[in-house]
Parts: sequence; structure tokens; C-alpha cells
Amino acid sequence: MLREERRAREQNRGGRASGRLAGPDVRDEFGLETLEMNMGPQHPAMHGLLRLILELDGETVVRCDPVMGYLHRSKEKISENRMYPSVVPITDRIDYMNNIAMEYGYCMAVEDLLDAEIPPRADAIRALLNELGRIMSHIPSIGFLLLELGAFTPILYAFRERERIQNMFEAITGARMMFHYIRIGGVKADLPEGMPEQMWEYIEGLEKRLKPDFMDLIEGNEIFIARTRGVGKMTQEKAIEMGLTGPPLRCTGVSYDVRRDYPYGWYKNLAFDVITDEAGDVEASYRVRIGEVQQSIRMIKQILENLPEGEVMADLGRRIRPSEGDGFGRAESARGEYVVHVVSDGSDTPYRVRYRTPCTVNMQLLKEIVPGHYLPDIMPIMGLIDPVSGSWDK
Amino acid sequence: MSLDILNQEPFRFLISFGAILFLVLNLAAVLTMAERKVSAYIQLRYGPNRVGPRGLLQPAADVFKLFTKENVSPSRADLWVFLLAPIAMFIPAAAVWLVIPFAPGAVVADLNIAIVFFIAITSIGALGVIMAGYGSRSNFSLLGALRGAAQMISYEVPLILSLLGIVMLTGSLSLVDVVNAQAGGFWHWYFLPQLPMFVVFYIAGLAEARRVPFDLPEGESEISGGFMVEYSGMTWALIQASEFASMGLISAIHVTLFLGGWQPPIDALDLGSFNWIWFGLKTALIIFTFQWIRWTMPRLRMDQLMDFGWKVLVPVCLIWLFVTAGAMLLLPSVF
Amino acid sequence: MPKLGQGILKGMGITLKHLFDRKITRQYPDYQRPLPERSRGMLTVDMDRCIACLQCMRICPDHCISIEQEKRDVDGSGKPKPYAVGFVIDDSRCLYCGLCVEVCPVNCIYHTEEFEIQAYNRLELARQFGERPVDPTIDPRPAVKKKKPAKKAPKKDGAA
Repeated sequence: MLREERRAREQNRGGRASGRLAGPDVRDEFGLETLEMNMGPQHPAMHGLLRLILELDGETVVRCDPVMGYLHRSKEKISENRMYPSVVPITDRIDYMNNIAMEYGYCMAVEDLLDAEIPPRADAIRALLNELGRIMSHIPSIGFLLLELGAFTPILYAFRERERIQNMFEAITGARMMFHYIRIGGVKADLPEGMPEQMWEYIEGLEKRLKPDFMDLIEGNEIFIARTRGVGKMTQEKAIEMGLTGPPLRCTGVSYDVRRDYPYGWYKNLAFDVITDEAGDVEASYRVRIGEVQQSIRMIKQILENLPEGEVMADLGRRIRPSEGDGFGRAESARGEYVVHVVSDGSDTPYRVRYRTPCTVNMQLLKEIVPGHYLPDIMPIMGLIDPVSGSWDK
Repeated sequence: MSLDILNQEPFRFLISFGAILFLVLNLAAVLTMAERKVSAYIQLRYGPNRVGPRGLLQPAADVFKLFTKENVSPSRADLWVFLLAPIAMFIPAAAVWLVIPFAPGAVVADLNIAIVFFIAITSIGALGVIMAGYGSRSNFSLLGALRGAAQMISYEVPLILSLLGIVMLTGSLSLVDVVNAQAGGFWHWYFLPQLPMFVVFYIAGLAEARRVPFDLPEGESEISGGFMVEYSGMTWALIQASEFASMGLISAIHVTLFLGGWQPPIDALDLGSFNWIWFGLKTALIIFTFQWIRWTMPRLRMDQLMDFGWKVLVPVCLIWLFVTAGAMLLLPSVF
Repeated sequence: MPKLGQGILKGMGITLKHLFDRKITRQYPDYQRPLPERSRGMLTVDMDRCIACLQCMRICPDHCISIEQEKRDVDGSGKPKPYAVGFVIDDSRCLYCGLCVEVCPVNCIYHTEEFEIQAYNRLELARQFGERPVDPTIDPRPAVKKKKPAKKAPKKDGAA
């Protein structure tokens, strides 16, 4: 009776560790209990402030409940009391690793509300910075994945790249992290003198450095493969059922990317591939992210070659006071699909702003996929989701 | 009252034991600095370079700070076990240095069963880890203690098996005999005929010293400190010192057994009783490789760790033991 | 089960090569990087040009600027004009977004290159530029009762 139950549960779960899970009869018979443990909000490797209530059977996780909300800063409520242009610095701080996409989504939503026409140079600069922001976010994500596996070096190489991109952003926008550059109607100011050449030089250097510094160090490493292959394995149906978007979805093989399926801005004129991988585990998500970095490099080169001339800001009048209605902006941030819904009541401030951040939904992975894995596997699975605590809590 | 009396037992033993303790504690302090500098240089940064010239007084600053920190202990911890655990971890790491030969004729205790002494005392290190984890009475410490116990006990088997080849070749269990048998240049050193055992002892030594890729008991990412999470101040400093001391110890034993101890690589470079310089250089090289590996690789998960130990290292050891025995039978003139 | 082999050795070779590379750290207090011209540092106000229009106070997302306005005849023309008798910028709240700089009609508030802000007391961070301190809790824009907008059909589906 017991052996059949175990076999049935093993087939349902399908993970490697399932055979070691003691069934309830065994537990009662031997008086075994599961250990209920808290991987608390204060933790060196939780990608922010996340509380995981774990129930452990030895080293196997039986139940994993994420408790989110420790960084809730009520961004949506704050946005209701600020004028439309003042909300842009607020959106900067939602996902602090990939800020530029957050601004882009909000500005697209308000421009949808105003039915505004964006000049082509502004569109091109927006796409250029969006892709640079994507590189700026994916490379440290890979570094964080390895940091939590225990290798302390790749993250420092990753932050070297991020610092160089931040230097370029500082010359363009004035700030290293909270850019506040994409505005309603365009971008704030044109690129400074010599910036396209500087970007070319950097991108070509990055292309050369990507293989020796990241791919060679990480991909062939047998310990990395042993820790990440087969961990967090998802099927396509399960991924779609959970509502995942971004690299966690693409690593199972579903080819969905907002830039290609619902193109916006300058992405209509760019040629790029959507990187997917069939395996659906953590190693696949690593390959998807490295592939996306390479595609971003390709896109940046295309934009820099044909950067249109012109002005960078549309003329929307002195005051942004849209008529009643709602606007909808949909962008692809580094973590997934990012949607902003702005409802206006005709006054200076929005009536309601809703940010659909990708991490809030992607974190459901933890509840569904983690049971059945070992305790040290939680870290690579969080590397698969690659959450940022500001993004799931807003 | 001439100074000759200091050369008699028990004074000679007490003074040299004091010198060994001094050496081990300073080695632990210097190794913290070396670790930080090596890690910094690999990660393209400078490391500590503010305190003293080029940062060389950093260990002094660290030790001074740790002396003045409060020793916090959890309220429901078992205080006897909690406070004795760092001592139980430090003493084995310090005691085995008594049998290591530093130079011809310079060994504190010339035991004729030195290898068995090393094996026996190193096993006590596992006890210290378990004491630390259970005594803290906290979930993360418990997990760390269990992992530590499993890992250290199961990696002792390849550690011991890899020594047996050397014992067969030398014919004695004394470390002084092992070093003397490797005389005559580096082609006589034991790492050449015992190359798989060299590698296996190195890996098992990494596991005994709880270094990456085997530092899951201390897993900084999952259980943030594992068995050491509740320690602070001088108790924590003692645990860290014992960790670095055991890293130094494993390197020293490795050098003594496989790389010729104090023997110079070529006879022409023999320095007589200053051969401890050769010993020091070789040990430093092995310590550097320990640190180089730490900063490159991720850590193994528990079941992969145990798989690797039992299913890969032990069979390799057993096979090579048979090969060594066969070679000794078939070519008695060489071996 | 991992097999020790080329992947690990290749990785170790890369870290060994980096051991001898040039360091990328710049030792901060000894070396100060030249900041680009658009850098947004601490704010400062040129009080001679300020016309107390309160635009910066209204647009600040964090309500970090507090201005007390008074009608005073400053330039001897005989007509009392608005004058900022109290002007306080609270650095502990400033977002460095630059909205106040953009909105100012006379360009009297601008960014400097200072970014090392420190104080022993949080209240010292509220820098005063006018003659007297200002109560920072005055809301520049009192809350407006919002009415729910009429439901309109969506203009287009999909993305903008």
C-alpha cells in the first residue's frame, strides 16, 4: 500500500528528489515530522525582501509559500496624487535594475491617452536605451545566479560591465541609476556629442568580452551544469497556466516576446530573433539570457547605424491634461511583459495607474515548482525567475 | 644554569608547542589577509590596502576589532556546548602541526605512527561542527550541522584510502620517514607514482577543510552561515581561525606526503637546516590553489557531494591501491 | 554527478589570467572621476533671481521644496511682487529627478556637482536658502476630490 502510494506520487511529481519524500503513513508510523522553517526577509541571497515559509522533510522542500509585501511602497497610490510628468521618477523606482523599461511603459500609456505622435529620433533613442538597459539588467542577473550558487567572481565581472554602461547613461541622462530620461512625448534631450561613437566602441568591446569573461567561465563548468540542469523543470503548459512572461516563459520553448508580437516604437524597424530554449530549467534560462544579450547587441548596432535626425520631443503643450479615458502601454522589460494602464478623469493627476509588473506573476513559480526539490535548489530557481524586489512589491 | 637545559624534555616540548601555537594563530591571521588579497586580484580590484603599507596590518586591525566585539549567544542555546564548540574545532587543527617535519631534524614530536595520529585527530573536527550546530538551537544551524557531519565523515574515507599508497611505498607510518624517502630531486617525490591519490587527497582535503566547492555546511547563500550563524565576536574569530588553520594544515600534510616536505626540488638547491623555506614555499603554493579554486567555482549540492565522494573518489582510490600493490610486486627493484 | 574536467580547468585558467590583469578599481578619495556635464547632483538656488512662482514646489514628486511666499517690494519699483521669504530644500527627500530645474522659468534652481551629502542629524539636511525656516508639512496642492471618469470604449486594442 505504501509503496504504491509512493510510486503514484513519484509519477505525479516527476522530479528527481521525489523518491526520497516520505509519505504521510511513514511519517506517522515513525513519528517523523517536517521542519517548518522561515527563510526570512533578512537573508543574504533573497533578491530583496522575500519571506519564504518552507516546510522541509530532511533536505527536501514539501511546501514553499512566498510571503511578499515587505517592500510595498504604494507606487500606484502615489501616482494618483502626482501630476503626469511627476510620475515618471516614481516609475523609475519600481524595477531598479531595469529602470528605463519602466519609464517607457508609463510614457507609452500616457501617449496612448493623448494620442500623441512621437518623432522618429525619439523612438530610436528610446529603443537604443531600452536595449542597453536590457544588457545592463541581464548581465548582473547571470552574476546573481552564480553568486547564489557560490561562485563569487562572475558577479564582479558583471558589475564591471554594468558600471561601464552606467557611465554612458550618466553622460546621456545625468544619473547613473534613476534616469528620468524618457518623458511623455519623447526623451528629455538629445544624445551628447560623440556618444554614438562611444557606444559603438563599448558594444564592440562587449561582444569580444562576452565569450571569454562569461560564457567560457560559466557554461562548461561541470559544477554549474550539475547544479542547474534539470532544476526547476517546467513544461510549456504549466508555464502558460501560471502566466509567466519573459525569460522564464521563453526558457520552456514558448516563443512570445512583446517586441515582436505587439511591436511598439522603433521595434517595427529592427530585425532580431526571439531566443527560446526547449529545456525549461535553470540552465535554459541562463542560455536565454545570454542569447538576449547578444540579440540586444545586434539591435543596438542596427539602431546606431541608422539613427534618424530630427527633434527628440513632441510638442504636447505646457500642461499635460488628457481628456477622460484610459491608456494602455505594453513593453518588454528584462523580466517579462510590463503593462501600464492609466485612467484619466480630465484633471492634472491620473485617476488610477495600474502597473502590471512581471515579477509579481513570475514569483508564482516558487509556490508551484519548488516542492519536490532540495533546499539548495531554491537559489537556482530564484535565478531562473530573476526577480527584483521592487518589481514584485511596487 | 646554561641554556642547554632548554633542550631537555619537557622544556623542549613545551617551548616548541608554544611556538607551534604561535605559528598556527599567526598563520590563521595572515591567511585571512591572503585570502582577501587573492580574491581581490582575481576579481580585478585591490583588496584591503589602507591599513598599514599596502594593507599589511589589516589582520591586526581585524583581530583587534574582534576582541572588542560582544559575544552574542541565542537565549535558548545550550551554553556549554555552544561555547566549547569553537575550541573543539580549533584544537585538532592546531594539534597535528606537532608531527609535521619542517626541516631535517626539526619536528616537535617524532611519532612513529604520525599518519594515524593525523587521521585520528582530524576526525575530531567533525565533532566540533556538530557541537556548534546543535548548541545554537536554530533552524539554519541545525541544517548546517547535519550537512557538516555527513560531509566530513564521508570524506574521511577517501582521505584515508589515498594515504595508503604512500604507506605501502614507504613501509612506515612516520612522516619523517615519508619525507626522507622522497630525497633526491622532484622526480622522487610521491606525486608522480601516486598521481590519482594526489588528486584524491587534494579533493578530500578541500572537503575536510569545508572550502568551496564543498562549503555547503557553511552555505552562505542558502543558510547564511550554517552552523556558524549564531556566533559573533571572539567565538566567531576562533571558528574562522580554525578554518584557516585547518586549510593550512591540510596543505602542509599534502606537501609532506606528496610533494617531498622540506626536500628541495633539485639537490643542488639544498639549504641544510633552512629547508623550511622550501617547505613554506610549497605549502604557500598549495594554499594559493585552494584559494584560486574557491573564487572560481560554485558549490556542490549535498547529494551531488556525497555521490562524488562515494561513487567517484573511493573507487579511484581502491583501484590505484591495487595498481600500486601490483607494481610493487612486479617491479621490486624500482619500488 | 559532476566529472572533473575541462570546463572547470578552463574556468580556472580564466581567473588566473585575470589575476594579472590591470585592476579596474579607482581609489575613490584620491581619484575623483570628472563628472559629465549633465550630472544631477545637489540642488542649489540663486535667490536673487527667484520670483517665487512656486512651480518647483508644485511639481516636486516628493514635496521636498517648501516655499513661503510674501509680497514685498524688492527692486524698488514701488509695486510689491511675490518674494520667497522662506525657501527650504530637504535633501533627505530629494529624488534628484531634475523636474524643478526644468520647470523653473528663470533658471534659478540648478544642479551642482556635489553628491557627498552628509549630516550628523537628519534635520540638518533641510537646507535653508531664504530668511526663515518653513513648515515642511504644508501641502503645495491640497487634495482634490476625484470623480470617477465616465466609462469610454477603448480606443485601440493591443499596445500603443
